[in-house]
Amino acid sequence: MIPIQHFLVLSSILFSLGIYGVLARRSAVLILMSIELMLQAVSINFIAFAVYLYPKEFSGLIFAIFVITIAAAEVGLALAIILRIFRNKATANVDEVDVLKW
Amino acid sequence: MGMEEAWLIPAIPAGAFAVLLLFGRYLPRRGDWLAIAAIAASFALFFPVLVDLLGEVDRADFAGVASGIDWVKFSLPTGPDFQLRLGFFVDQLAIVMLAVVTFVTLMVMVYSTGYMKGDPRYGWYFAAMSLFAAAMLTLVLADNFLLLYAAWEGVGFCSYLLIGFWHERRSASEAAKKAFITTRIGDVGLLIGIFLLWREAGTFDISEIFEFAKAGGYSAEYLTMAVLFLFAGAVGKSAQFPLHVWLPDAMEGPTPVSALIHAATMVVAGVYLVARMMPLFLEADPVALNVVTALGLTTVMMSATMGLVATDIKRVIAYSTINSLGLMMVALGSGSVTAAMLYLFAHGFFKALLFLSAGSVIHATERQEVGDLGGLARRMPVTAAVFGLGALSMAGLVPLSGFWAKDEILNVAGDHQNFVVYGFMMLSVFITALYMMRVVILTFLGEPRDREAQEHAHDAEPVMTAPLLLLAALTVVAGFVAFDGVGEALGFPGGFGEFVFVEEAEAFHFPWDVAILSTVAAVAGLAAAFYFWSGAAEPARRAADTFRPAYETLRRKYFVDDIYQWTIDRVVLAAGAVIAWFDRNVVNDTGVDGSAGLGVFSGFGMKFLETGKLPNYALAIVTGVIVLAIVFMVVRV
Repeated sequence: MIPIQHFLVLSSILFSLGIYGVLARRSAVLILMSIELMLQAVSINFIAFAVYLYPKEFSGLIFAIFVITIAAAEVGLALAIILRIFRNKATANVDEVDVLKW
Repeated sequence: MGMEEAWLIPAIPAGAFAVLLLFGRYLPRRGDWLAIAAIAASFALFFPVLVDLLGEVDRADFAGVASGIDWVKFSLPTGPDFQLRLGFFVDQLAIVMLAVVTFVTLMVMVYSTGYMKGDPRYGWYFAAMSLFAAAMLTLVLADNFLLLYAAWEGVGFCSYLLIGFWHERRSASEAAKKAFITTRIGDVGLLIGIFLLWREAGTFDISEIFEFAKAGGYSAEYLTMAVLFLFAGAVGKSAQFPLHVWLPDAMEGPTPVSALIHAATMVVAGVYLVARMMPLFLEADPVALNVVTALGLTTVMMSATMGLVATDIKRVIAYSTINSLGLMMVALGSGSVTAAMLYLFAHGFFKALLFLSAGSVIHATERQEVGDLGGLARRMPVTAAVFGLGALSMAGLVPLSGFWAKDEILNVAGDHQNFVVYGFMMLSVFITALYMMRVVILTFLGEPRDREAQEHAHDAEPVMTAPLLLLAALTVVAGFVAFDGVGEALGFPGGFGEFVFVEEAEAFHFPWDVAILSTVAAVAGLAAAFYFWSGAAEPARRAADTFRPAYETLRRKYFVDDIYQWTIDRVVLAAGAVIAWFDRNVVNDTGVDGSAGLGVFSGFGMKFLETGKLPNYALAIVTGVIVLAIVFMVVRV
């Protein structure tokens, strides 16, 4: 098997790309997609550790399933909010939604 | 009813005060009858207490009777015990004071119904007078220092209320402030003295402190210091130099107030205090009594000379009061409580008489300056007669009470003091006769200087004249209590000296040389007064011109008031300005406003972090996580 570091580095790179996406994107939907990327990076991390360190147990794999499920629910919620904002403000550009500004 | 129930004597006027304060305006005549009834009751109760005392006083170990209730009593974990006790103590000293205070207060209150008639605050006058009576009587009867101090402050407060009775007049409210602040300075000393005594003895009870001192509980230096602090209170209250400045100004109050408080009762509280503390003075270093004598003598000479040039009739009598107080202090400084108390007894009557008859003059003519008076004997013969009698008693003319009392003081001064003191005392007899006769001549004799003022002058109504006559009668006879024969006939163990004394009884003795010398001095003073001030008073004017600098010094009251005012302006108010600057700039601007401003400023600075933009918040979160990660990796938590 390839060493575990390969998976960890992959997970880190994906996580960083996700963070970049969250911080640098203007569109709310794209920010959501980046968040998904971050979540999946974390899943890869969990599964790698689960397979390499505790091959007989399922804890890490089950955690990955949890993450996918919650990500799905959360996306549904988030898209609903984005839709609401779009209907009120006619924009999906997060830079323009600053109603709570001082 | 006896000495055990003596607490009733101050309690009844206190009750009258409470009633007058709350319900005075609803009572008929604003309740003056209630005040008078209360003090009359106190005076009446004096007699059974006296009888009880006389029954006990023959016992060799009689040292007074105490009664009272303990209010608070606890032991401090470190230091002496603490008690708050409402206790009353009767002995010969107290009974003399009770006699003077109750009787003179009664006379003054009756007189006031005439004098203060029509005043808008008539009811409050009698309420304040009742409060004063209660406080003064409590002071006399107090058996422990805390109660004494509370009553001491109480009479000072009543003095403030009554001097400033006509507070619409600026001069009156200023005088009331001056009196209160000046006596307060002395009171601080009194409090320090009380605490010094308590600290070692563990008790505030006066008898217990005396026993403690006698047993040697205090070192000589400590006791001397404590006793001098106590004397400081007497200096303030009894208008000794240098705290005498309030008494002449206190004449802004109504004349009956001056008669009662600033002649017969409150001002003698200082004399009473020193008299009562004489056992402590005798245990302490002789320098303490020397201080008393020195200040007393200074007071005598200063006041006598200032009385010589005063033109307000009340002021002259005020200076004569300061003079008398100084004499009493010299007597005490010579170690004689007998002489001082005999003088206090006689003085209470003739000084009240002088003030009240002056009040009749003021009431009749609406004038106080001798420049506006003159020749009143024709229109107010009774008043003139009693005033003259009082003046002669003050001057010390035989056989009036003032003679016997003053002679007693001169005796003890001659026995216990050096030649200088004795000489000055004799000189003061001359000067006293001089200025007292001066005011009699300028007010009652000669030609009226202001015809208009005298148009309606007449002897006062009976309610005002009757007290005058009673006091005049006492002025004549009160001195005779010094005689052993008189005392025994009245049921006392002997003359005054056998009744009121410290250490041992003093039988009455009469050195002829002192008597003759003082009489010569007094008569010389009276004659000189006629020379200077009768008629057009030309000799007096010439003397004033010849000795202009001395005259001006006396008129400016030895510049004492000016020095005090300068001190207040330059020192006290200047220090106050510094402290005010500190309070305004450091405490308020920097401390209070500053911390508030800091909060506002930082809040204002930080609000710009709330941009409302999601990416900014996301950045903040990410930054925070990274920082924490680095911290944890470095610190290895």
